[in-house]
Amino acid sequence: MELVLIILLPLLFAVLALGLCRHGQWPLRLLQLGAVCHLLLVCYVTLPGRAPDLVSFHGIDLFGLDHVSRLLLTLTSLLFACVAAHSARWYPADRLLGMKRGHGHSLRPGLFVACMLSFLSMMSMVLVARNLGVLWIAVEATTLASAPLIIFHQGPRSLEAMWKYLLICSVGIGLALFGTLLLASAFTGAHELSPGLNLSALMAARHELNSTWFKAAFIFILAGYGTKMGLAPFHTWLPDAHSEAPATVSALLSAALLNCSFLGIFRFVQIAPPELTGFCRTLLIALGLCSLVVAAFFIIRQRDYKRMLAFSSVEHMGLATIILGLGMNNVAYVHLCGHSLTKMMLFLVAGNIYLTYDTRVVHDIKGMFGAIPRTATLWVIGVLLICGTPPSPLFITELLLVTQAPLWLGATVLTLLFVVFCGMASICLDMVMGPRPETPPDSEAVKAAESLCSIPALAVVTVLAMGTALIFFIESSQWV
Amino acid sequence: MSSLPEIILIMFLLSSIVLVSSSRLVHCIQLVALQGVLLGIMPLIFWDWQSSAPHGELVFLAIVNIAVKGVALPMLLILAMRRAQVRRELEPLVGYALSQLIAMLIIAGCFAGYRHLIGAAATNSALLAIPVAAATMLIGLFVIIARRKAITQVIGFLVFENGIAVFASGLMVHHGAIVELGILLDVFALVFIMGIAVFKISREFQHIDADRLNTLRDRRDPESPATPAGYTGE
Repeated sequence: MELVLIILLPLLFAVLALGLCRHGQWPLRLLQLGAVCHLLLVCYVTLPGRAPDLVSFHGIDLFGLDHVSRLLLTLTSLLFACVAAHSARWYPADRLLGMKRGHGHSLRPGLFVACMLSFLSMMSMVLVARNLGVLWIAVEATTLASAPLIIFHQGPRSLEAMWKYLLICSVGIGLALFGTLLLASAFTGAHELSPGLNLSALMAARHELNSTWFKAAFIFILAGYGTKMGLAPFHTWLPDAHSEAPATVSALLSAALLNCSFLGIFRFVQIAPPELTGFCRTLLIALGLCSLVVAAFFIIRQRDYKRMLAFSSVEHMGLATIILGLGMNNVAYVHLCGHSLTKMMLFLVAGNIYLTYDTRVVHDIKGMFGAIPRTATLWVIGVLLICGTPPSPLFITELLLVTQAPLWLGATVLTLLFVVFCGMASICLDMVMGPRPETPPDSEAVKAAESLCSIPALAVVTVLAMGTALIFFIESSQWV
Repeated sequence: MSSLPEIILIMFLLSSIVLVSSSRLVHCIQLVALQGVLLGIMPLIFWDWQSSAPHGELVFLAIVNIAVKGVALPMLLILAMRRAQVRRELEPLVGYALSQLIAMLIIAGCFAGYRHLIGAAATNSALLAIPVAAATMLIGLFVIIARRKAITQVIGFLVFENGIAVFASGLMVHHGAIVELGILLDVFALVFIMGIAVFKISREFQHIDADRLNTLRDRRDPESPATPAGYTGE
């Protein structure tokens, strides 16, 4: 029952925000309250030694937990709590400065909070789903809940981004539904009593899968959930949506939602029949490498710092896919966690930079160290961490990837990572160094941005601690 | 070759062909509604009536399907169309005659490919749903690519979605009532949000030509900045 509550509780708060308490400070308070309640509930459910019951309905397993969903659910809830805490001060500042600069109206607080909370609810549903049909429904619902958030700053550019997001992701997820149906019919020949779409039944019966059908299903799934996950060449919506959305929303889209889509692909890898794991792995590595190439190419010629972060997400999803393709599942989870925390922090800091300078063009921003020293420091640290500088956890996962992969793959990945590092470092240096601009940024904006540094700083400390702990763990357990 | 399931499937294909060659949006929406109704009755028609009467769940799902795909979604689309004040797709990227030809080629290709895969003669008419589903999905994707208006793209998406549903009901994929209702709810909410988006686009841009939504891209030339400072929207 707790699992149903995890999904229903944020929805309840969303309805409250939309219906009863939509004025003044109430919606933002509800957002924080919802986030904290969700986090407490998730902590309770994922306590070690506790095994929540499987929720079933008429022979369909709806929700349950396994080790992957435990980890990702905790991560998502934590990220959402951070973003909610950040929103409390970010939302009024953004609204005030937006009014002052004549940007027109942003989304009403009630609607903003309702969409955020239902987005959280749907992401939780993806993570605890134990039926491939339910998984599909939840992934599609995350698109619906997050689409209104992209047009937060209502303007033609964000409308365009939202339209692309809706259309491309829906068609992509439609392909995933087709893949799911193909998988369901992969059993019909061999079996009188088909296992339906229940995950545990499918895993138990995976030896009886018709391999041709499964291959077709897996290709569609990879294209479908890969679209939502931002794997090249299906990534085209991602840079637009992630750069046009406001800071807190891009942080969630990039840090939490991409993991949910990763889970969609991962579930199918779990039920792949043993003789087809080679086939799945080849496809995963090919797509991952393709994403890495595309991301590297677009990062070195990037002139918009939020798009740079978006392409960095494409890069890291590619890396996670390659790691999954090499069969190192645990390393893939660590990679996802490290990426999520770092990328959330980076998008929040990018939001501060946008608040201060009111532009996303790299060329127009100079001398951040002089103007906004705290934000600039966090920005440099964040960029270094996301590029895999030790002791970032991403350093360890990338090191494991390069050492475990075949030579050609390791060398290619290393080269591409170097290209990405060069591109991101040069953009970052362009922004933080240099003389102060002649017209200093608005002092009110500077004050707002500098006061919004506590959550990103907390995230940096967490990531550093996680990376250090990981180094000691690996040192003591495996390599000695 | 003239049993009821085959007639339904052929009607489905014909409606797709007519849809790609018609310029009036109301007409397209009516055809999508027809496809929705056909989809709703399809599970009942594929049911083996000789052995037993269909159970209540199946009938219930058929009714919900017809209500959502045959009535509610077309009404939403017509509402969005009126709000955005468009009646016709005047200058499609691919002409109507050519579109029709391409749709027929897609259908022929799907059937040929299916023959090639399955073997000379398909005995089971339910298996015929596979090439029909594939062709409908491809035609839906083709409509999304070949038309300018955002609302026609929504129609294309619905055709694509209908293709997937044909596959599910043709092969009698058993995925439970709750999952099926969830999928319907998702599609309904999606079309609802897309309708709002179409309205917002028409208000913001004074047009709903999706091919002119092309300001967001990665480019380097300084004349056309990737981000104009501030928003141009009022």
